[in-house]
Amino acid sequence: MLVLLEQQQIEWDDRLIDLAMQEYELEGRYWLNHFRIILDELASAGLITREDHRLDTVTDRLIFQYALSGFGRQRMRDTGLL
Amino acid sequence: MSSYTDYALRQHFIRHQRWGFRWAIWTAVLWGAWYIPGTALWYEYPYNIISSEDQGQRLVATAVMTWIHAIAVFIFLALWNGSLGKLKDYGRTLVRFRKISKWYALASLFGGPMAIFGSYMAMGFVGPVFAAVTSLFYPVVGAVIARLWYHEKISGQAALGMAIIIMGGVVIYGPGLFGEVGNEGSYVWLGYLGGILSAIGWGAEGAVASRAMDVTDPDVGIQCRFSFEILFWGLLVLPAIMLLTEQPVWFLIQETLLTPAALTWMLLASVCHAFCYTAFYKSFSLIGVSRGEAIGNLYGVFAVIFVAIVTLELPEWYFLVGLVFTIVGSFVMFREPAEAVAELRSVTENAG
Repeated sequence: MLVLLEQQQIEWDDRLIDLAMQEYELEGRYWLNHFRIILDELASAGLITREDHRLDTVTDRLIFQYALSGFGRQRMRDTGLL
Repeated sequence: MSSYTDYALRQHFIRHQRWGFRWAIWTAVLWGAWYIPGTALWYEYPYNIISSEDQGQRLVATAVMTWIHAIAVFIFLALWNGSLGKLKDYGRTLVRFRKISKWYALASLFGGPMAIFGSYMAMGFVGPVFAAVTSLFYPVVGAVIARLWYHEKISGQAALGMAIIIMGGVVIYGPGLFGEVGNEGSYVWLGYLGGILSAIGWGAEGAVASRAMDVTDPDVGIQCRFSFEILFWGLLVLPAIMLLTEQPVWFLIQETLLTPAALTWMLLASVCHAFCYTAFYKSFSLIGVSRGEAIGNLYGVFAVIFVAIVTLELPEWYFLVGLVFTIVGSFVMFREPAEAVAELRSVTENAG
């Protein structure tokens, strides 16, 4: 997810989750929620930041736009992801 | 529309917080509960036949306990990750040793041979309440290591909390150091040493593991950390003890696994520990590390309550006073809002 976000620079969560599910060949509601939780975890740990949000009127769900933080970039360098 | 979006946003974070607090309370309950089977194990065969004078054998028994404990925790975590479909992720994380899983290997050295080994020592040589309260020092150790190693900031608020926790420590260790409890036996100091080891071990484990935990799934990370602990005890420490000493390592392993009472306590201790780790990291993702740790540290209170229920005895006054100091200190230390975590964790570019 961090690598994807680094490539996209700034992206909405539904698009990021689509890309991640394609990458790992996963589908279904369980994995959708799984990736949402991962994004929440990364935001809570300060690796990514919520830049914006909007309400999806079709699903009545909040969608967040994320970007990599300076700390996230540093941790990616520390762990060889960058 | 905008006000509805704002309402939805508020609801989103309220839902997060509610779940986060639930996980954090589970952490405290399970962690506190761990001290009961952990201590009970010392009163079961084969551990109850070890003479209280034979400190060498008691230390070897602690090592055996810690190894079997790590294996059982690993099995529970494998079942958990298997049911969540994360075993592939576990394999992917474990093989990236040079950049990622080496941090879990290092964390397992602090977490296993220091923290869990030290806790079993503290439980065996002093008692469960002492073991629980003394570990509450770990946030101080973790914050100091993070400050020195990756230049994370320590706010004035955190420093004040650390000072209160240290005062709590003086109250806990004071009577022992001034001889009030020294009469219980000449080897009580081994329990005090175990208590210090557990606080340093858990503090260092958190600081080291967080480096890798940030970029990997926490459930998977915990399983990696226990994998390395199993290897460390199973391939290095226990074979070395068997080769270099006459200690009955194999006998203790065999009898623990074949004695239903010992095995039951061991499994209960391990299931508490496996899921308290899991709940702890889940709470971090929902309410932030700060609040997660502050509430998780209430395990000290739960440990005292559980021990009082099981033994029908209240602990010594200085343990209770120490407990109040360390819990208040944890809340003061971690009172920063969750939103400030990212800022607190900002590091300088040349850090680490």
